[in-house]
Amino acid sequence: MGKRVNLTGIAVLVFFLLLGVLISIRLTGLGSHFPNPIGGTMQRVLSPIEQPILQLGNGIKENFRAIWNFREVQVQNEALLKKVDQLTGDNLKLKEEVLAGMRYNELDQGQFRSPTLAKFEKVGASVINRNPTTWYRTLTLNRGSMDGVAPNDPVIGDLGLVGKIVSVSPTTSEVLLILDGEGQVSALVRGSTGNSTFGIVQGNYTRGSRLTSEGNLQMLFRREDGVNPGDLVLTSGIGGVYPKDIPIGQVKEIQLDPSGLLKTAYIQPLINFDALEEAYIVKQAGGK
Amino acid sequence: MRYVLIAGMFLLSLILPGTLFHFWSWSGIKPDLLMLLTIYIAMHHRLLGSAIWGLGAGLFEDFYLGRNVGMYTLTLVVVAILSNWLAERWYRENFLLTTFMVFLVTAVGQILVSFLSLGAGLHWSLSDIGRLVIGVSLYNAILVPLTYPWIHQSFVRGWLRYRPRYER
Repeated sequence: MGKRVNLTGIAVLVFFLLLGVLISIRLTGLGSHFPNPIGGTMQRVLSPIEQPILQLGNGIKENFRAIWNFREVQVQNEALLKKVDQLTGDNLKLKEEVLAGMRYNELDQGQFRSPTLAKFEKVGASVINRNPTTWYRTLTLNRGSMDGVAPNDPVIGDLGLVGKIVSVSPTTSEVLLILDGEGQVSALVRGSTGNSTFGIVQGNYTRGSRLTSEGNLQMLFRREDGVNPGDLVLTSGIGGVYPKDIPIGQVKEIQLDPSGLLKTAYIQPLINFDALEEAYIVKQAGGK
Repeated sequence: MRYVLIAGMFLLSLILPGTLFHFWSWSGIKPDLLMLLTIYIAMHHRLLGSAIWGLGAGLFEDFYLGRNVGMYTLTLVVVAILSNWLAERWYRENFLLTTFMVFLVTAVGQILVSFLSLGAGLHWSLSDIGRLVIGVSLYNAILVPLTYPWIHQSFVRGWLRYRPRYER
């Protein structure tokens, strides 16, 4: 006589196990602050290994770039040779462009040294890992709760805003990039005339461009709002997470909605997220 | 030795997608190495053993990522059971079949992850989910010819071979 299998019992057990897993997934979602000592220990052990591997990958990419993109490099080379000829014969224009570039850098640095940012303590951190799964746009930094980093602390790069901390282990922290659609930033667009227009910057990594490596940002405006390509986008300081006046990007393109009532501004981030190696974490006294 | 090797491979599977494969990603798509490893392990174990390895790998990944605990646990258990079920029916040493199986099982696993993510509040369009599921599955399938021969040999004759207690 074989053992009798209690199918109802198994079904009930499976149902409750599934229910438990679903509740656990929901309760420990992005931004929740559940204690994770096992994960913390794993991050602490693995973080010294991750950085050399990331550097190795970067080195391989840099060294093999010309081979992978041979045709592209060749085309670029031809285009550059033509450009050199053109620029050699147009010295004045070159000087003007250099001066304009210098002014732009000064503007950027001026915005970056915002008085609202200066009052916070900042801690420098290196990128040791980048979005381990494809589902979110995140970075792992080599600073954690032992350095005073807390969830919701803003993270800034050399030219502007990178994102905010979403989870912290004793020695590492995870940054949700502003490119990810899950992270929104209250922002203002400063036009050439000095007037400001408020809005929400949202990463469109959840939308059509999710699968591009660059990602992009966008803002919605009313049709009559005076926003133009080239305008600078800065944090507004409203919302309690990001300090005021941190540069986010520059309006690249504006498209009118089919309804004609709204328009979408596409924003080119100032930060090159793929090349980001160091960042500052702005400590906001335990986050808000 | 076997368990140390598997633990090492688990660790590498967690670290490499975010580091080395970040530079070899296609339009942001990277392979899911832990899922690939779970499939390989499940193909070389019995049903219960596969499920337990899947459970361990899933918990490992969930705690490493530190969010949505249970998502990868559930997914990798399902992936392990499905892989084992398919491996029992399909000839394990046929690399083409194995490649197709990895593609199929990864797709099922990624679909499960996407639906659990949607349940956890992630906002994604169906077309993006489709592209991502197919992309990750293809990437995993492409890695099969490069990785499976070594892993399979090791499971059958090498260091990853299970040795009963009386044989040790």
